[in-house]
Amino acid sequence: MKIVVNGVRTELDTGPDEPMVDVLRDELGLTGTKAVCRTGVCGACTVMVEGEPRLSCLMPAAAAEEQEVTTVEGLDHPVQRAFAAHDGLQCGYCTPGLVVEAAAFVDGWRAGHGDVAPPRETIAAAMAGHLCRCGAYEGIQAAIAAACRGEHDGDAVTPARVEAMDKVTGRARYTTDVRLDGQLEGVIIRATRAHARVTSVRAAAAHVVDLLPSDRVVRYAGQPIAAVAAPTRREALAIAAGAEIGYEPLPAALDDAPDAPDVYGEDERKKAPNHSEGPTMSAPWNGNVRGPFNRMSKRGRTAAQRVEAARAAGDPGLVAGTFTTAVQVHTPLEPHACVARWDEDGALHLHMSTQAIEMVAAQAAKRWGLPADKVRVVAEHVGGGFGAKAGVTAETVAAVELARACGVPVRVVLGRDEELTTAGNRPGTRTEIALLTDGEGNLSALTVDVHARGGVAVGSGVAVMARLMYGRAPRRLRDYDVVTNEPPAAPFRGPGAPPLLWALEQTVDETAHRRGEDPIALRRRWDGNPKRQALYEVAAALPAWTGRPATGSQTGRLRRGVGVAAANWMYMLDPGTEVELTVEGGVVVARTATQDIGTGVRTVIASVVAAELDLPAERVRVEIGRTGVVHGPGALGSRSTASVAPAARDAARRLRQAGLTEGTRVVGKRRRDRRGYVTPFAVGGMAIGRGFSGAVHVTEVEVDTRLGTVRPLRVWAGIAAGHIYAEGPARGQCEGGVVQGLGYALYEERHVDPVTGVVLTANLDDYQIPGIADCPEIDVHFHQEGWDHVNGQGVGLGEVSTIGVAASVGNAVYNATGWRPRDLPIRPDRLIEGMYGR
Amino acid sequence: MITLSDIGAAALGGGELRAGGTDLMSRPAAGPHIDLRGLPELSGVTWLPDGSVRIGALTTIAALAADERIAAAHPCLALAAAALATPQIRSVATVGGNLLQRNRCAYFRNPAFSCFQSGGNGCPARAGHTLRAAVVDSGPCVAPHPSSLAVALLGCEATAEVDGTAPFPVGELYGDGSDPTRDHLLPPGAVLLAVTLPPPQEGERAAHHRTAGRALAEWPLVEAAARLVVADGRVTFARVSVGGVARVPLRLTEVEDALLAGEPLERAAELAATRCAPSGQNAYKVALLTGTVLEVLERAWAPAG
Repeated sequence: MKIVVNGVRTELDTGPDEPMVDVLRDELGLTGTKAVCRTGVCGACTVMVEGEPRLSCLMPAAAAEEQEVTTVEGLDHPVQRAFAAHDGLQCGYCTPGLVVEAAAFVDGWRAGHGDVAPPRETIAAAMAGHLCRCGAYEGIQAAIAAACRGEHDGDAVTPARVEAMDKVTGRARYTTDVRLDGQLEGVIIRATRAHARVTSVRAAAAHVVDLLPSDRVVRYAGQPIAAVAAPTRREALAIAAGAEIGYEPLPAALDDAPDAPDVYGEDERKKAPNHSEGPTMSAPWNGNVRGPFNRMSKRGRTAAQRVEAARAAGDPGLVAGTFTTAVQVHTPLEPHACVARWDEDGALHLHMSTQAIEMVAAQAAKRWGLPADKVRVVAEHVGGGFGAKAGVTAETVAAVELARACGVPVRVVLGRDEELTTAGNRPGTRTEIALLTDGEGNLSALTVDVHARGGVAVGSGVAVMARLMYGRAPRRLRDYDVVTNEPPAAPFRGPGAPPLLWALEQTVDETAHRRGEDPIALRRRWDGNPKRQALYEVAAALPAWTGRPATGSQTGRLRRGVGVAAANWMYMLDPGTEVELTVEGGVVVARTATQDIGTGVRTVIASVVAAELDLPAERVRVEIGRTGVVHGPGALGSRSTASVAPAARDAARRLRQAGLTEGTRVVGKRRRDRRGYVTPFAVGGMAIGRGFSGAVHVTEVEVDTRLGTVRPLRVWAGIAAGHIYAEGPARGQCEGGVVQGLGYALYEERHVDPVTGVVLTANLDDYQIPGIADCPEIDVHFHQEGWDHVNGQGVGLGEVSTIGVAASVGNAVYNATGWRPRDLPIRPDRLIEGMYGR
Repeated sequence: MITLSDIGAAALGGGELRAGGTDLMSRPAAGPHIDLRGLPELSGVTWLPDGSVRIGALTTIAALAADERIAAAHPCLALAAAALATPQIRSVATVGGNLLQRNRCAYFRNPAFSCFQSGGNGCPARAGHTLRAAVVDSGPCVAPHPSSLAVALLGCEATAEVDGTAPFPVGELYGDGSDPTRDHLLPPGAVLLAVTLPPPQEGERAAHHRTAGRALAEWPLVEAAARLVVADGRVTFARVSVGGVARVPLRLTEVEDALLAGEPLERAAELAATRCAPSGQNAYKVALLTGTVLEVLERAWAPAG
């Protein structure tokens, strides 16, 4: 068939049902167009066909015969510059589809209405078919409005992040776009049973790579069993589908019932994967329950005695309750992906969608017994991670082993179902909390018991987070893991904190309510953190706060409410970080072994170097996403900016001293903070610095008491993370933190079939993340003081900006209705049953 | 050019008909796709002399939503069309495809399960996750019918035109929901050509609403459509239909009768609950159903603007 793609007449030999997206990407090499959901939900694959935006995953290429197709690579439209200028993107993986659709919308709008901005709701309705997991919706709104006003018809813009033009044109290359000569496509064969011993594996492939653990037991449906490769993904999938797996069934634990069968035998427990970002802490086991881990308690016995006495006496100062949270899935739009190649010298080259290239390289070297310099990792652009892409995971093992077996490069890209099923999640939790206030209205005791279901993985740290808040009153903090035959959890943006804050910040709110005290006023009394005090001061004066209704005072169908929640997070850094600067062709090139997963770390480095050397933006270039250069941090624990920015500044100062002559190379170091760090030395590239970052979220919602829906209207996000190095990306990340927090509060929930253990929410229709129409107006306020002891005066904000959001929604719903939600997400059924008892 | 009879023959050989393809392309193929594109018998919107309108099965949802004459005559259908899915889906998906699509049950769509719908002999959803399950129990399968247009067309008393048969009421595409093996009753090889809506009632006012957690782009938990004629403060004509609650789209004659008998809207809407038999996690759908019905009754009673 014949087709015109980006103005070029092209002859194609394609099957009648082959989706356009595969033809564009695999046959024509136009990888700007992304395949994400493959079910028409997310819009990432949008292209123009005869000038109309079309989902190329749902359209057979054959249907475009003799038609003109324009992909993002062929698009040249003001809205692309608007996206760059207004930061309508973070990781950039959804961006190609968005800009194609936005281009059509902007043209249509301007033709019909002239150069005026459309209403916010009109833009949201037009873009409703696109999902952005980073939550860049505020920037997308601003970009489309600006393009409609005709503000970007000219040529140049100053992009809010340095790689923006690559991302809006489809030039940015992600791991899923990599295609090496002779490359095969690998597919993982996965368990269909929740618990079984695998007795045989038969697949019609020359090389079947084994991925089972040494005991040959699969402990969750979806666990990798083996991997096979073929010239195309379709062929590889067919081989995997036809594989015959022999199982000896074992009883499965799919709930937390005391009589559930054991997931691990006594001597297998140490094999349980760790889903915390730290080392595995020892804790006792009792069947499938591991814990308590209680070493972060402070005068725990006193706390428990005070709570018990208060309970026995019916003390009105005691507020106790049970709160639960659902399993949340990271859902990066770029799935886990790896392209592995062994070269003639026995060196291993990995293209990987990872947030920690150096950590992955070290793990790979260890796993495959290679010297460190024989592993090279490239992650030029990464389509989101949120914590789940921090190690050598199944797709990488499969790709490396298949590449070795087959003797050619092999690419393994997880399908959306695999990504949503097996690639990590934030555990579901049940929290029992009791908070006692004394006669003077001070915190007297706190007890928190948290049971977390991380599937086959352990390492929950939810209750421990209560050590970081509200002074030094006695507190007993106990964490338990409940293991089940479900897929393993993984670290997820602020591990442990969102479920703790969901319980704690609502209990503090309830305490204030019972005392007849303003919830912000109570926090100002209890919270010793001076940076958050500054945020409370601003929050308390917000019109939304001062004008909020009295709780339970409304009787109409639609009720508005305003809620507040505070958050506290550690300041982490990688003290060994270095940045190298070289003058190449008159341009200062910055290199370090870090990666940008959408955080804007490229922009942080570029802006520090440009400012320090007083250079225009075009004379600074940042090359990251490759090992083999000076050490850089993983994008974990909000540590990137606090690590690289001071090192970049140090390097720039050295370069200024050395002079900007061609070929000059300097290396800058991340100099120590004044008074050093809390941790005496870095473990795994991570030290904990002095001081805590803080956030206060004030959220306004409208509750529809007839139909059970909660609509977020406005969110004020006060963030205390010191100096902001790159305004656009920092703001974007805080807005995205709000959007993800709203998803956690209202929509996101993994469902597992209670009979088989199969994950049901295996597509983006059923696993529901927020869309642009769910995104409220977000006002980000930075408090930049209080970090003079820190080199560079600024710390990270990726985690603190999201962890308290759900609690602020809970408090807002309570303010609106007088009914306090205790279970996440706040679904329509829960709201209706909670309010009306039916 | 492929003809209608070619298609019927091909479908008898075990393929699936593809109109817009938005459903078909997003699930594993059950055989070759047989493309309906460009068939003249299935295209076009035709106004007939008696005031009825014939809408070809390949008419896209977007065209339906944008058709001013349809919006004026049959606002309930236009509103349902405008509210479903996303702009891109609407621009490709068709009237026929929407009516004859497969259901959204997560068990049916997951290859790990076998059920009545996928050729098996059971319903794993009944023993499993039932939050979205049908709350009106009409048969062994508990997947709610997914078609928003069917809800509206049922309320509009539209007829379906299938190649080789006389036009029949749209509801007969679905029957009573007791057959758990399929989402519509057309035999293999049958091609839906068009739907025809009779002329609207004089002075009718209509509303449609889908209730879902998120603001847009989500399959509804419950949806409802209402057509009312109100004269001197009394309902003289009423059609109320609902989706998301049963194996098939439902017309709620008990609600209509109550309205005609002069019952207040709240009382009439409450009657929507009488057919419900909640089980598992779906009891909330009873309240959502009565709430959504009341929503459309109120809007049809006093349309905004």
